Amino acid sequence: MGDIEKIAASVASLQESFEAHNYICSDQIATAVFLAYQLRKPILIEGPPGVGKTELAKTAAEMFALPLIRLQCYEGLDESKAIYEWKYGKQLLYTQVLKEALDEVLQGAKGFSESVKRLHEFGDIFFSEEFLEPRPLLKALKEENGCVLLIDEIDKADNEFESLLLEILSDYQVSIPEIGTVKALAEPPMVFLTSNNTREISDALKRRCLHLYIPFPDADIEQRIVAARIPEIPPELQRQLVAFIHELRTLDLKKQPAISETIDWARTLVLLHAEALDPKLVTDTLNVILKFQEDIENVTTEVSSITARITK
Amino acid sequence: MSMDRTISNFIRALRNADVRVSTAETLDALGAVELVGYRDKAYLKRSLATVLPKTVDEKDTFDACFDQFFDFQDVRGEQSPGGSGEDQSEEQEGEDGESGDGEGGGSSGEEPKGKKKKSKSKAKKNNLYEEEEEADLGPGEITDPKSTLGQLLMGNDRVELSMAMGAAGEETNVRDIKIFTQKGLYTRRIMDAMGLPDLNREIGDLRTSPQVPARRLGQQLKARRDFLREQVRDYVEKQFLLNADVSGKRLREELLRKIKLSNVEHRNFRLIQEIVYKMAKKLSALHSRRKKIFKRGALNVPRTLRHNMSYDGAIFDLHWKSVKVDRPKVFAICDVSGSVANYARFMLMFLYSLDEVMPKVRSFAFSSDLAEVTELFNRNKIEDAIAKTLRDYGGGSTDYGQALLDFKKNCLDDVDNRTTIIILGDARNNHGEAHAEVLKEIYDRSKRVIWLNPEAKLAWNTGDSEMRKYGAYSHQVEECNSLMHLERVVGNLLKQIA
Repeated sequence: MGDIEKIAASVASLQESFEAHNYICSDQIATAVFLAYQLRKPILIEGPPGVGKTELAKTAAEMFALPLIRLQCYEGLDESKAIYEWKYGKQLLYTQVLKEALDEVLQGAKGFSESVKRLHEFGDIFFSEEFLEPRPLLKALKEENGCVLLIDEIDKADNEFESLLLEILSDYQVSIPEIGTVKALAEPPMVFLTSNNTREISDALKRRCLHLYIPFPDADIEQRIVAARIPEIPPELQRQLVAFIHELRTLDLKKQPAISETIDWARTLVLLHAEALDPKLVTDTLNVILKFQEDIENVTTEVSSITARITK
Repeated sequence: MSMDRTISNFIRALRNADVRVSTAETLDALGAVELVGYRDKAYLKRSLATVLPKTVDEKDTFDACFDQFFDFQDVRGEQSPGGSGEDQSEEQEGEDGESGDGEGGGSSGEEPKGKKKKSKSKAKKNNLYEEEEEADLGPGEITDPKSTLGQLLMGNDRVELSMAMGAAGEETNVRDIKIFTQKGLYTRRIMDAMGLPDLNREIGDLRTSPQVPARRLGQQLKARRDFLREQVRDYVEKQFLLNADVSGKRLREELLRKIKLSNVEHRNFRLIQEIVYKMAKKLSALHSRRKKIFKRGALNVPRTLRHNMSYDGAIFDLHWKSVKVDRPKVFAICDVSGSVANYARFMLMFLYSLDEVMPKVRSFAFSSDLAEVTELFNRNKIEDAIAKTLRDYGGGSTDYGQALLDFKKNCLDDVDNRTTIIILGDARNNHGEAHAEVLKEIYDRSKRVIWLNPEAKLAWNTGDSEMRKYGAYSHQVEECNSLMHLERVVGNLLKQIA
């Protein structure tokens, strides 16, 4: 408990701690996490794919030593998969059992009304917590020491699903008609939502969250990221590699290489025992960073000129 | 309290710049400021940037607004740690943490200004209009000014000066400035509130004074007064930018909705685009519920079991998974030749702004030959795509017959009874072959053919217009030449396809 508070006490300590967990983050990112913790607000993270949105939540969980509960969104996701579901199998089984025992229960009951009264004594046990199957969101609320809840790619889910999230995001609670309201225990979960911007997120949802946009990092930070992830990379190669990726991002590509591609590429080059970039090496490994044939073809013609520019 | 005021003023400026900030977000901002404080401006900016703006566009606006707003606040809050100004206006102590960062930035900014001031007065001397006889008094003794403003000016204390300016601004309610023509008025009012009449009187007196040191003072004061006027004008300008009421803009928007699209001037394109987005958003909200038509699909086992619990587990009340029906298609065929290009621009903008609720749109552009531009729109931003379309396919004489033939050859197979086809054009075929029979074929296959003609109804069928022939094979023919028309047409379209 105390640990979390210590880490989240200032932006600087957060940044340090992130770095200790191999996640190099800009001031902006650290500030957002700081505010999210201090104000107990969810963060909505947007940005191009592969800049470490999901990674941020994962690292935060690791750093705070909290369990990570992840809800991957997709089209058609609904409350029975996100919040809770009744264990209908168990319910069915129990009714069968109960049917057999019914005579015993009703033994000695006089008349219909008394029987009904006795039955009522059972209450609505079929719709009690024992028969409730918690899904990620409910599970997150029930974590006693708090947790990190990652709602990944919220833009993939339907509009309606966003409305379903509103209650949990603003009040850290869920209403289940048969049971009532389930509130978060002492420590509400830290909520991270990520979006790739395939569609606009509704204003209602945005209003309830802090908003963090993670762009592609600048060369300096990206070099530090590569160094943190692949410590064995030669420094000169690391510099050239990042410079090359940055050149690529200025081109008109179908999909620009993200940090994850930079890291993959760095790994590849280290495996190949490369010391520096050269046109042949780049051309051979281009498919690690570019995911469309069209892009690869376009870039291939540029490779030698870009390589010349950054290795001089 | 005063801190709240600074923030709420800032939020007001943001709202004026079209960043939507709700009350809840205002409270968040206050919470954030409480945590972060005003000391480190970059830190404050980063913090507020996560709380207030919620899209990338808004973040850009926020950045600009923040710099502008807190730059100004800086000038006002900038003061030496020892000297506490006596007439601080309410928001003064908002910058109580100023001693750190703001101070450093401020003092470095001070120097060039001071230099500017000097060169300014020099320039004035060289200018020699109406000051000829006193132009060369040379350096030397100067008497002390008597009026308060004069003392302030000669004190050469930029901080106190801007504080006085801010106070005068508050006094004259400069924040209420609404339209740009009021700028002069407020400038004058603020100058007056700062004690301009007294100063003017003093300058008048000094200039007729027999003593050289007094005349020297008069000259100095005059130069500094002019400098001050410039400063005040800047200040009012800033206040206008931050606080100007949006009603002026709203008025313009209202006009632009009704104006003929071909008459829209280039400088208003951006605004029009905003309006189109707004309209599209409204339509989206209206129709997003309607778009979902559900169809029976596979058995939904959990639901069925759950609902049959009460029947002893005997399953007879079946529940089905609902499946979304494949979305219908819209084909937009746009004449992009000179006269109609502007209408095409806005219609395409409208259609593609609706991508959330609009079914898949395929678009085609032609002036004589027809080309599909769907891919162009999928890959580029709307504005760029439109610009490229107009560049590549615009110009050239119109040939509707050829365009229809091209369409038949390339895409008629894709047209089915769920397809809506929108044709935008004036049907002026330069007396060429109309090929209305092709349109009939399309008409027979599709769900709807809608012809939008930007010309006024009276002009249809005159000259080389083939509207009568084409109109016969359209389910709906509409005049469409303003944003209002467009909105109505697209709104109806959404109703029909939903």
